[in-house]
Amino acid sequence: MPARLRDRRLLLPLLLAPGVGYLLLFFGGPLASALIGSLRAEDGSFTLAWYAHIVTRPSMLRGLGTSIYYGVAPVVVSLLVSVPLSLAIRRHFVGRKLFSGLYKLPLAVPGIIVGLMIIVLFERGGFIDRAVAPLGFALPKLVRDDWGVGVILASVWKQIPFMTLIITSAFAAIPEDIRFAGRTLGASRLATFFLVEVPLAMPGITAAVLLTFIGSMGSYAIPDIVGPPTARPLSVLMVNEFNQGRFPQVFAMGMVLSAFAVAVLVAYYALTSRIGDAHGRGDAT
Amino acid sequence: MTALAETTPSQATRRRTFTREDRLPVAVGLYVFLFLAIALPLGLMSLWSIADGWPPPHVLPQSYTTERWAGVLGDSGLLRAAINSIVIAIVVTVATALIALPTAWAMARFPFRLKRAVEIFILAPIIIPGIVVAVGIGQVFLALGLAYSVAGVILVQIVGTLPLMIRLMTAALETIPDDLLHAARSLGAGTADIIRHIVLPLAVPGLLAGGLMSFVGSFEEFDKSFIVGAPVVETLPIKLYMYLDPYSMQLPLASIVSFLLLLPALVVFVIAGRVLRDDLMAAGMGKI
Amino acid sequence: MTMLEITDITKDYGASRALHPVSLSVAKGEFVTILGPSGCGKSSLLRIVMGISQQSGGEIRLAGQRIDMLPPERRDIAMVFQSYALFPHMTVEQNLRFGLRMKKVVKAEQQRRIAHALDICTLAGLTGRMPRQLSGGQQQRVALARAIVMQPNLLLFDEPLSNLDAKLRDTLRHELVALHRRIGATSLYVTHDQAEAMAMSDRIVVMNAGRVVEIGTPLELYRAPKQAFTAGFLGQTNLLAITASGRTGQLPWGQPVDLATETSGPAQVSVRPESIGIRACDQASGAPATVAGVSFMGASALYTVAVGDTVLKVSQAGGDALIEPGRTVALTFPERLPVLEDRGREDREIEDQGRKDRLRTPEVA
Repeated sequence: MPARLRDRRLLLPLLLAPGVGYLLLFFGGPLASALIGSLRAEDGSFTLAWYAHIVTRPSMLRGLGTSIYYGVAPVVVSLLVSVPLSLAIRRHFVGRKLFSGLYKLPLAVPGIIVGLMIIVLFERGGFIDRAVAPLGFALPKLVRDDWGVGVILASVWKQIPFMTLIITSAFAAIPEDIRFAGRTLGASRLATFFLVEVPLAMPGITAAVLLTFIGSMGSYAIPDIVGPPTARPLSVLMVNEFNQGRFPQVFAMGMVLSAFAVAVLVAYYALTSRIGDAHGRGDAT
Repeated sequence: MTALAETTPSQATRRRTFTREDRLPVAVGLYVFLFLAIALPLGLMSLWSIADGWPPPHVLPQSYTTERWAGVLGDSGLLRAAINSIVIAIVVTVATALIALPTAWAMARFPFRLKRAVEIFILAPIIIPGIVVAVGIGQVFLALGLAYSVAGVILVQIVGTLPLMIRLMTAALETIPDDLLHAARSLGAGTADIIRHIVLPLAVPGLLAGGLMSFVGSFEEFDKSFIVGAPVVETLPIKLYMYLDPYSMQLPLASIVSFLLLLPALVVFVIAGRVLRDDLMAAGMGKI
Repeated sequence: MTMLEITDITKDYGASRALHPVSLSVAKGEFVTILGPSGCGKSSLLRIVMGISQQSGGEIRLAGQRIDMLPPERRDIAMVFQSYALFPHMTVEQNLRFGLRMKKVVKAEQQRRIAHALDICTLAGLTGRMPRQLSGGQQQRVALARAIVMQPNLLLFDEPLSNLDAKLRDTLRHELVALHRRIGATSLYVTHDQAEAMAMSDRIVVMNAGRVVEIGTPLELYRAPKQAFTAGFLGQTNLLAITASGRTGQLPWGQPVDLATETSGPAQVSVRPESIGIRACDQASGAPATVAGVSFMGASALYTVAVGDTVLKVSQAGGDALIEPGRTVALTFPERLPVLEDRGREDREIEDQGRKDRLRTPEVA
C-alpha cells in the first residue's frame, strides 16, 4: 500500500506535466513577459506610463469602451435567439436529428469568412439591399457603421450554435419528473418554465454567456473587417500598435483587456460562491 | 430496475404523440431559419465566386465564369497556403491529443488539492483573448528565432487548442466507472493493457470531439497565426484576410478562398459531427 | 362516495395498444393500489390520471367532475414521484410552498398547512435544507409533504418507495399507512411489489398486459383469487389442473379435493403452499409423494414435493424437524379450494406473459 501511494504521488505530476507544462511555457511565460514588458520604460526602468496612455488618450479609452460594447451587445442578441432555439430543439419534430447536426456548422466557420458573409449580405449594394430595392426600400448602412451592427451580426452568427449547444444541454439535464411535479403542483407550463426550469438551467446559461462575451470582446478579425473605422476595439488597436513595433504599449493594452476578462470571471465566481454560502446558511436552521 | 425499464419506452412514445400537432410547424420554422442563416450566405458566396461581374442592382449575376477558379487554383501561393494550413492543422491536432491525454487522465481520475486551481489555469487560455497571447508569444518567439516559422505557428496554435482538448477528454474520461478498471485489473490486465483495451476505446468520444475541434480550430485560426507567422508563413485565413483589405476588396477572389478554407473544415465537421455527443461537448465546452 | 372514477380508458401507441379499456373507481378516503409486473400499463394509467399523458379513449371523473381534458395543474391531484422530483434549487420549505403559491393560497393558510405537513411527516428542523442535503428517506417524506399541503382530491403515488433500501422501505411503508389513516386522503398507489400492496391497501387492482385482471381486498385476492395470474402474482401458489364434478375435484394423481364452488369438467385450482399439510409416512395412500428438496427459511420450511409428474411447493410452519429429501410423505389438502375462472385462449397468453414478467421480478419470491 505505501509503495502504491508513493507511486501515485509521483504519477500525478508526471501526468500533469505535459499539458500544464506546455501551457506554463507557451502561455504563462509569454503572458508574464508581456506583463513585465508593459511596466518597463524604454530605458528599462519601472513605469506606468503605458497604462496612463490608455486612460488618458481618448482613442484608447474609446477602444476599451468599444471592446466592452462588442462583448456585451452580441451576447444579448445571441441569448434572445438561443434560448427559444434550445426550447424548439427540445421538442420532437421531423428532421430533428439532422437539424441538431446542421445548426452547429457555424462552429466550423472562421470569423473572417463570417465577416465576408456579412459584407455580401448586408453591405449597401449587397444582396439584401438589391433584393428589397424593387420594393422601394433602401438598406441603412449596416457594415462598418457607427453602431457596429455588422460586428454584432457576425458575432451573433458565430455565437448562436455554441450558446444553443450549451443551453440545450442545460435544459436537457433537468429530469422530466421535476417538470411534471411543477405542473401537478398547480404551475402552468409558463410558470414551470420560469420558476423551475430556468433557475435549474442557470449555471449552463451563465457559462455560455460569459464564455461568448469574453470570446467576442477579444476578437480581432470580425471588428477589423466589418467594424467602423471610427471606433476600433482594443484588440484592433493592439495589432496596429504591434505592427508599428510599440511593444510595451501593446502589452499594456493586452493586460487591460485580459484584466477585464478576468475581472468578469472573478465577479462571476464571487457571485456564485455567495449564493452557495446562502445555501450553506440554510443548513444551520 | 424493473420500473425504469417500464417507463423509458413509454415516455419516448408518449412525448411523440403529445406534440404531434406542432411537429410540422416547428420543423418548417426551424429549417427556414437554418436556410436563411446558413445556406443563403454560403450560396451567395458560391455565386460570387463564379460570377463574371455582379454589379447592382442585379439580384443574380448576369453571366458566369470559371476563369477565376482556374486562376486561383493555379496560383502557387494559394496552393502553398492550403498545404500549409492542412499540414499545420494535422500536426496541431495530433500534438494536442498527445499532450492532452495524460493531463486529462490526471484531471479526470485523481483527486488532488490544487485541482480547482489547475482547472482554472487550463481554462485561462480561453479567457485571455488570443490576440494578447499572440503578441506576448510573438515577442518571445522573435527572441528565440521562432517567429515567422511554421514551427512557431504550430506552437502558438496549440496554446489555443489544448485547453478545449483537455476539457473534452477529461469529460469523457470522467464517465469511465472505477469498477471497470478494477474489474479489468482483477481479470489480470496490467496498466498497459488497461490503457490499450479499456481507456483508449472509452476515450474515443472525447478524442473525437477534441480532435475535431482542434483540427477545425487550427485550420481556421487567424489572430495568433497572423501575429506570429504573417507575412512569411501564409495559411488560408491569412490569405483570405489579405483579399479582404477594405481598400482593395476583391469579393470574388475572397469568396473562392473562403470556399477553399471552409470546405475541409465543413467536410470534417459534417462527417465527424454525426458521431459527436452533445452532452460531452457541452460538458467540455460550457463549464467555467 | 366515489372520488375517482376511471371509465374505459385506453391508450394506443401507433398500432399497439398499451391499455385495453380499463375501468376502476376509488372511494373517498380509500387507499387503492394498482399492482402489476413491469410493462403492465400501470404507469401509463397513472400518467393519464395525472394529466401528463393523454388517453386515446375513455373518461376520468374526479369528485364528479370530468378531468381528463384538463391540464395537470387544474386537476386537483398531487403526485409523489418515484424519483421524488424535489426542486433542487429550493429549500424544503420553498418546495412545500411552491404549490400553495401557485394555487394563490393566502399567506396565513400557507403557513398553517406547511407547519401541519412538516409535523405529520416528521420534518421539523429540516425546513432550511436543500434537497441534496437530505437522506433518501427524508427526501421521500418531503415529496410526500409537498403533495399533502395541497390537500388534493386525490394523491397519486408512483412506486415512491422503490428507490429506498429494504429496511427504510419497510419503515416508510408503515409511516405511509399511518399517515393515510390520519389524513384520510384518497390515494391511488402504483407498485410492482406485492408485499407493499398487501400491507398498505384497502383494495388492490391487479393489472397485467394492459388489462385489469382482478380487483379486490388483499384478503380476498389472496384467499380466493379468481384468476391464475392473481394467484401467482400475490404470493406463491400451486396451480393444479382438476377434473371436477359438483363440489368435488380430482387432482392429476387421483386424489379427491373439496371445491369452493360447484364446477364440472376440467378446471384449475390454486393451492397455497402453506395450506397443504405435509407429514412423513412410510406407506402413502394413493399416489406416492416424495420430497425432492427442502429449503429452511427460518420461520418455515419450503419443500418441493413430487407427486407423479406434478411438482408441488409445500410450506410448513415451525419446521423444527425437517423432512429429509427422498422421504415419502402424505399430503392433505384444505377444504373449499378456490376454483379459477376459465378464460379464453387470449387471456391465457397474457397469463403466460405475466408469468415471464414475474420471473424477472425478484420481489415476488
